[in-house]
Amino acid sequence: MTTTPSQSFDIVIVGSGFAGVAMAAQLKRRGMDDFVLLERADDIGGTWRDNTYPGAACDVPSPLYSFSFRLNPDWSRLFAPGHEILRYLKDVAEEEGIMPHVRLSTPVEEAAWNEATGRWTVRTANSVFDARVLVFGMGHLADEAMPAIPGLQGFTGDVFHSARWRHDIDVSGKRIGIVGSGASAIQIVPEVAKSAAEVVVFQRSAPYIMPRLDRAFSESDRRTFRRNPDLMREMRENIFWYLESTFASRRGIPSYLKENKRLALAHLNAQVQDETLRAVLTPDYEIGCKRVLLSNDYYPTMTRENVVVEPSALAGVDGATAQGASGAGYDVDALIFCTGFEAARPPFAKIVRGRHGQTLEDAWADGMEAFASTTAHGFPNFFMLNGPNTGLGHNSIVYIIESQVDYVLEALDWMEREGVATLEPDAAAQAAYVDGLQDQARGTVWLSNGCKSWYLDPGSRKLTLVWPDFTHAFRHRNGSFSPSGYVAEPRAEPLVPTPVLADA
Amino acid sequence: MVQATAAVQPSISEQATSASIEVGGASVTLYDSGLPVNGTASRAPIVLLHGTGGTALSHFGFLLPILALNQRVIALDFAPVADLEAMSLDDLVAQARAVIKHAVDDAPVTVLGYSLGAVVAAALAARHPEVTKNLVLVAGWMATDAQQRLRNSVWTALFDAKSPQLAEFTVFTAFSPSFLRAMAPAQLQRSLQSIRPGPFDAAQMRINRDVDIAAEVACIKAPTLVVGCARDQMVPAAHSKALFGLIDDCRYYEADCGHAIIFERPAELAQLVDQFNEQPDRHAPGVRIANDRP
Repeated sequence: MTTTPSQSFDIVIVGSGFAGVAMAAQLKRRGMDDFVLLERADDIGGTWRDNTYPGAACDVPSPLYSFSFRLNPDWSRLFAPGHEILRYLKDVAEEEGIMPHVRLSTPVEEAAWNEATGRWTVRTANSVFDARVLVFGMGHLADEAMPAIPGLQGFTGDVFHSARWRHDIDVSGKRIGIVGSGASAIQIVPEVAKSAAEVVVFQRSAPYIMPRLDRAFSESDRRTFRRNPDLMREMRENIFWYLESTFASRRGIPSYLKENKRLALAHLNAQVQDETLRAVLTPDYEIGCKRVLLSNDYYPTMTRENVVVEPSALAGVDGATAQGASGAGYDVDALIFCTGFEAARPPFAKIVRGRHGQTLEDAWADGMEAFASTTAHGFPNFFMLNGPNTGLGHNSIVYIIESQVDYVLEALDWMEREGVATLEPDAAAQAAYVDGLQDQARGTVWLSNGCKSWYLDPGSRKLTLVWPDFTHAFRHRNGSFSPSGYVAEPRAEPLVPTPVLADA
Repeated sequence: MVQATAAVQPSISEQATSASIEVGGASVTLYDSGLPVNGTASRAPIVLLHGTGGTALSHFGFLLPILALNQRVIALDFAPVADLEAMSLDDLVAQARAVIKHAVDDAPVTVLGYSLGAVVAAALAARHPEVTKNLVLVAGWMATDAQQRLRNSVWTALFDAKSPQLAEFTVFTAFSPSFLRAMAPAQLQRSLQSIRPGPFDAAQMRINRDVDIAAEVACIKAPTLVVGCARDQMVPAAHSKALFGLIDDCRYYEADCGHAIIFERPAELAQLVDQFNEQPDRHAPGVRIANDRP
């Protein structure tokens, strides 16, 4: 057996999406250069590298869905397309000097806490890293979810997931089955329907859709932003606080819930005249339970001659026939799974091993959890960005990520200042934090009657993905580090005693 | 004109109850959220005092249900007195004072006033320190100045002439330019249509014209949060800064919006107030609270 010599760093960051890039950028800005950023794919960019499907765009306005420390005057639209967001992330990584720290095509196979050395050992396919601190920026939209469909193996056409788009497959003139009707599907369907012969959408439950109040930024708009950076800041803050006010509906405040629902259904009614189709596209659960989507062209697409909604989930495949749970069958040339991501049970939980060999998956039998939504008992010197209870239904995740990065930096500063070697949350403090969030979540739309969504843990039905409060409240509570609730072990005394100057 | 029977409007919050009390011949409607959903019973209840032309529902439709998650919240609709011509600040202070007596039997509360409500709240805090445990003054003032009097004159002239432009003038001065620019046309229309001032509003405008409570404000001892609005044309932020300067135990926050902070930045205001009431001394006296920079 050969042993790979381990490379030692102060900090290992895993993942190069918004979270990993934000963490790395702030380390660089503070001159903390002793880190490496591991990325499993052959390029950086996280979700925005993976999701290249036609029509991909963010549903949070770009002036807000970007880093506060790098405002961008060059967005082409209010809701910029995905490739622009990826370009932006890559530019940030380049200009912040992160790229020399990035190891591409380096998937982490195991990250284990070494009790003897008090450091993390991170094994990848062909290298070993040793680090004092481990930061996981895994995100919620990293590993695609593929439902097990009987007969799919024998399907005669092409099959792929929306996050692994097959650009080599031309959909024009083909019969396309779209599995799912969530955030990805409503962006994909209008694009595919333009050239496909037929499109059938397997809809398990109808989404609520609001108008997308998009607009293009002209060249003069962009120059105005460049010449007046304060206008970008003002627009960003106005968008943030506007979106923040929409939490009243998520919180379940009746008048806001009702108004929100009215707006969404008015949008449906304005765009779909056919009563039968309208009924099929009308959701049967409380608005906000699942992500509220934004689209101006999804409903009109559903009224096209070549598009049909199958109001049931894809239940089986037989040769070229895709069958809905209702029993209806459709012959298709390709099945595109727009079935989202393994968000509530992230695969990385299996490979992170803390004290006593326990994995995060073991610790998360009841669903994922973290103290301050960032650290975990039994996992010293370990930080998660955009992990448990950080997801939002109403505002920008980049804000949460930046708050968490501030928290990590303050924790590292505190450890340095206090001479702390290892830091981990106390079990009781973590339990109290998590219980507090569950209490707080009562009365929100995510726990409303009949609400089934990827925001809930599939096993315990606890709300483990979403931050159940205002976004600013996250920063207020978790945006700066406090040692309260933590167990800290001091650094060992140096072996060689520091010389003491004797009195002359 | 504000109807005292606004209690029939059920949607101020799911669990709020309402009642009506007589104060000096005026029938004052009050709303009470009851115990907080999240059970933080240690906090002082908050009493909300609306501004000119408002009601508990129209000014605190967002604030009340959100604040009620973490503390008991009481709001009222100021009511016209029999002799509207003679209505004074004292009448409104008496109504607020009576509501505190009725709702919490004079237990100390956090009084939050918005606009004219802030003038009432400041006077209440000065005159009744025993019930005013904490104070929040949002877009308030203590002495009407020439800029305000000019607006007041135009308002009064348009009102007396029954001019349809009164609604436009009000919206024009209530919102910040950037908020107006971003408003959807239908939303702007709804705002304009919602402004139909009557004699009670005119009586409030007469009070606004001659506010001078600086001497009383100087006596306020309660831990106070002053919230100014950077783009306020009705009560420019300088008034809030003056309150911040005069009140001993006071911290200041400035939101980047117009006078209509309750519509432009309701979530910012709600969280600020929630955090203040959780721990009024979180920020030391004299501190300008930093804005979040999203």
